[in-house]
This record gives sequence, structure tokens and C-alpha cells, in this order.
Amino acid sequence: MTAERKVEDVTAVRMVINWLGLGLFALLGVAAVVPLFLIIGDVYIKGIDAINRLGGLWVFLTELPPTPFDERGGVGPMLVGTLYMTALGALLGIAVGFPLGVYIGEMRREKFANVARAGVNVLVEFPTIVVGLFVYAVMSLAKEDLNRYLLYPLSKTLSPVGGWISLFIGPLDGFNAYAGAAALSIIMIPYVALITASAYASIEQPLREAAYAIGGREFNALFVVLRKAVSRAVVTAALLGTAKIAGETAPLLFTAFGNTYYAPFTGPTGAVSLWIWYAAQTPYDVQIASAYGAAAVLLTIILTIFIIARIRS
Amino acid sequence: MTMAKIELKDLRVSFGASPVITGVNLSIPDRSITALMGPSGSGKSTILRVLNRLIELYPEAKVSGEVYLDGQNIFDMNVLELRRKVQMIFQIPNPIPNLSIFENVALGLKLNRLVRGKKELFERVKSALEKAQLWDEVRNRLNMPAGKLSGGQQQRLCVARALAFEPEVLLADEPTANLDPENTAKVEALFLWLKKEMTIVLVTHYPPQAARVSDYVAFLYKGQIVEWGPTKDIFTKPRHELTEKYVTGRLY
Repeated sequence: MTAERKVEDVTAVRMVINWLGLGLFALLGVAAVVPLFLIIGDVYIKGIDAINRLGGLWVFLTELPPTPFDERGGVGPMLVGTLYMTALGALLGIAVGFPLGVYIGEMRREKFANVARAGVNVLVEFPTIVVGLFVYAVMSLAKEDLNRYLLYPLSKTLSPVGGWISLFIGPLDGFNAYAGAAALSIIMIPYVALITASAYASIEQPLREAAYAIGGREFNALFVVLRKAVSRAVVTAALLGTAKIAGETAPLLFTAFGNTYYAPFTGPTGAVSLWIWYAAQTPYDVQIASAYGAAAVLLTIILTIFIIARIRS
Repeated sequence: MTMAKIELKDLRVSFGASPVITGVNLSIPDRSITALMGPSGSGKSTILRVLNRLIELYPEAKVSGEVYLDGQNIFDMNVLELRRKVQMIFQIPNPIPNLSIFENVALGLKLNRLVRGKKELFERVKSALEKAQLWDEVRNRLNMPAGKLSGGQQQRLCVARALAFEPEVLLADEPTANLDPENTAKVEALFLWLKKEMTIVLVTHYPPQAARVSDYVAFLYKGQIVEWGPTKDIFTKPRHELTEKYVTGRLY
């Protein structure tokens, strides 16, 4: 009788400890998630209010930003810049990052693949502002020759297509959208490469053998058959990487520089993140409000990409 | 015995420093089922992977000796042509899981440019699925992901994928090891029917299966062929003590 009683006591104590433990974990979970919702809530409440005061959504998405003396305005040029640079950066990031990932994930027997893997691992943690500085330095060194021997003749040859072509490829300024996109792609490449590599490394041997048996060329086996097997992970990586670079500010400071007007991509180009950084520091309420609106726009872009990525996987 | 489809001459394979196949000579007759039988680690699967040169996926594997397909040394052949003629089915059913049933069979044909036009592709896929006796079960859901099929169906899909190439040789690496008895029976019946058109090399570690379906048996032990000949002879009057022990279940 007493022995039975003791067992019950021990069980009760264990249950209490269990509850306490689970409660603690739940609390930690809440602590981690609360800031996220506070930020999202704050940005959307103040942001939507600001967008309404500054002239409504359409005005906000298309018009120039407000000067301190304006009552309405938007983030039009910066939104275009962000979308353009993010799209270019993401394309380049995937075009380089995916094959690189296949190389370091699938060719582990190659010595250089291990060197590349180590390099990519370092690069993924690199301070993004250093990446921006690097592109700035390269741009400064290469700009003159690039313009003289490649871009100026090229835009002249293509000029019959229309004068607008020079807005895209004409001779570059020191700051331009392409430098920005290059910096963003350098941030995205290691990210896509690492996730691709781990997806390929997780492919089981039977599937790999099947791929070689039916794929014919090694290229087909690797880039067609096995890609189809891991496409979900890779597409998710590409989307999350895109979301990541869409919000980057630091690498654009020295490369795109920022602009508040609609301007050719060959010169200083605005970005939503750069405008937030600038406007939030000004003493003018209207610009601070536009920074909140811009933050809401940026967050919407990123959350949309993120949700697409989640649904797909 | 009919003419040999495949000839192995003094085949040796080692992985790094450890030898796996230590001198195998074997001739595999055309349009018949030859079983490679033996305990785990005897080198059956390794021999199979030499025959379509999938062994080259393992950089640590060293192969010496000669293998002839219709008198042609396979190591001098174009590997794409070889793998088109010599297709393989694996121990674990391995369709590409998120690809549709149709695409799984069609992919190899498309990548190797074996068909012209959509109509021919569909006909080839259909006839492959029919030959694999899967068509009636999947004809209404060709666009469903292959991963949703049952294990037995997945294995027959892999057979269809191999048959789509219209191969001359079909390699099967313990194809029923992961299947229930009913599906095992289906796959075995399928092989008996397919051998009219092609040479089948079946790896098994289960003697009754070799006895049921094969015409010839090679018994492998520790990387060497102990004995080989017509199935009936191996099972009724084995010449070697090891063979007798193995077929009666006293050696594993």
C-alpha cells in the first residue's frame, strides 16, 4: 500500500516538473515571437496611417518623396530602384549560386570543391557593408575602361532601338543600379549555394544512381533529373534569398547611393531601404511618416515573398 | 546454350584498398534470366554496377579486367549508348518522387533525345507502362506525383522507366527486397515475360527466387564465382559444398 502510494507521489512530482518545463519552453517561444509581432504591428499601424495622410496608396507607390515642406509624397523612384536591383541581384545570385551549390554539394571528391565550400561559408556571414565597399572599389577602378571600351560603344550600336536604351546601359556613373545589384548578388550567391549544396548532399544514393542511369550525360543527371528531385528546396532558397536582399541597406550605401527622383539606372539609384534610413533621421514629421510608410511597403514585399516560399514548401 | 550477350573476363574491382571482386569470369546468355546469387557482401551488386558503368559514380572504385557486350568492350563504348542499352532497376524503388508518373517514364527519353514529337513520346511511355503491367492502374492519373504510388507500383514504374529505353539488357538489383509477396510475384512474372525480348541479370540473396525465375545461376562468395550453370543443375546437383550449403539455407 505504501509502496503504491510512493509511486503515485513520484508520478505527480514528475508531472509537475513536466508542466513547469513545458511552460518554460512555451514562454521562451513567446519571447522570441513577441518582438516580431510588435515590429509588424507597429510598422503597419503607423505605416498605413502615414500612407493615408500622404495621399493614399497609389500616390505613395508612385510619387516622389515629400520634401520637408510637402504634405504628400511617396516612394515611387525608390520602389522602382528596389524592384530593379533586387530582380537583377536575385537573377545573378541564382545563376551563379545554383551551379556553385551543385558543385560543392555533388563534387565532394574534388579538392577545390571543399575550398569553395569553405569560402562560401565565410562569405555568407560576411558583413554586408564590406561587400558594398568592395563593389564600390571595383566600380571606381573599372568604370573608366568599362565605359570607354564596352558600354559607350554598346549603347551607340544599340541606339537605333531607341534613345531609352542609354538609360539602361549607357555609360555608368560611379554610383549606379548595377553596382547595387552586383553587391546584392554577392550577398545572395553564398546563401543559394549553401542551401542548394545541402539539398543535393541529402539526395539518397539510389536516386543518384537512377539519375545517372536515365539521365545520360552527367550534366543532365545533375542539373535536370536531380534538380527535379530537390527543386522545392532550391526554389525556396531562391525566394528566401530574394526576400533577404530586397531589404538590404548597407551594401547599397556605396553602390546605388540613393536617389529621390526617377532617374536612369546608370546613375545613382534610390532604394526603399535607403529612403527609410535617410528619412527616419530627419527632423521633419512628414519625412518620418514617409519612412514608416516605406517600411510598411518594404515589409509587405518581403512578407509576400516569404509567404510564397512557405506555401511552396 | 545460346550465344553470350555479356562476357566478363577476369573482372576485378576494389574499393580503395579492399578488394570486392577478385577475378570473375562469366558469360551471360541472351534472352534469358541469369541470377547472381550470394550472401551480402559477396559483390553481386558491384558486378551489376560494372555492367552499366554506374560504378564510375564511386571514385574510390578501381576496375580492371574486361567486359564485353555483344563482343564490344563496354569500357571503350560511349557511356550514354551503354546505359541506353543496359538499363537498371534498383533495390529501393527510386522514381523521382515529386515528378509525375508520366514524366518519370518520359524524362529519360527526352533527355537522351530518343523520341521525336509528343505523340511518339506518349506512345513510348504508354507501351513501357503496359509492358511493366502498370498501365491499367495509372492510366487515369498519369499526372499524379510518382511518390504517391504504393511501393510495388513504384517498383513497376521503375521497370517501365527502364523499359522505355527499349534496352537489350535489364539489370535488377534485388528488385523485390522491399516488396510484399504479392508484388514480388508480380515483378517475377513480369521478368519471365520480359526475358523473351531481353537479357535479364537478376541479383538476389534469396535462393528460392533464383530457383523460381532464373535460367542460369552464378553463385558468388567473397568476390568470386564458386559455381555457375543452368539453374536446375545448381539447385539439384551442386558440385561445390559452399553452393549446397547456400541453397539449403545453411550459409548466409
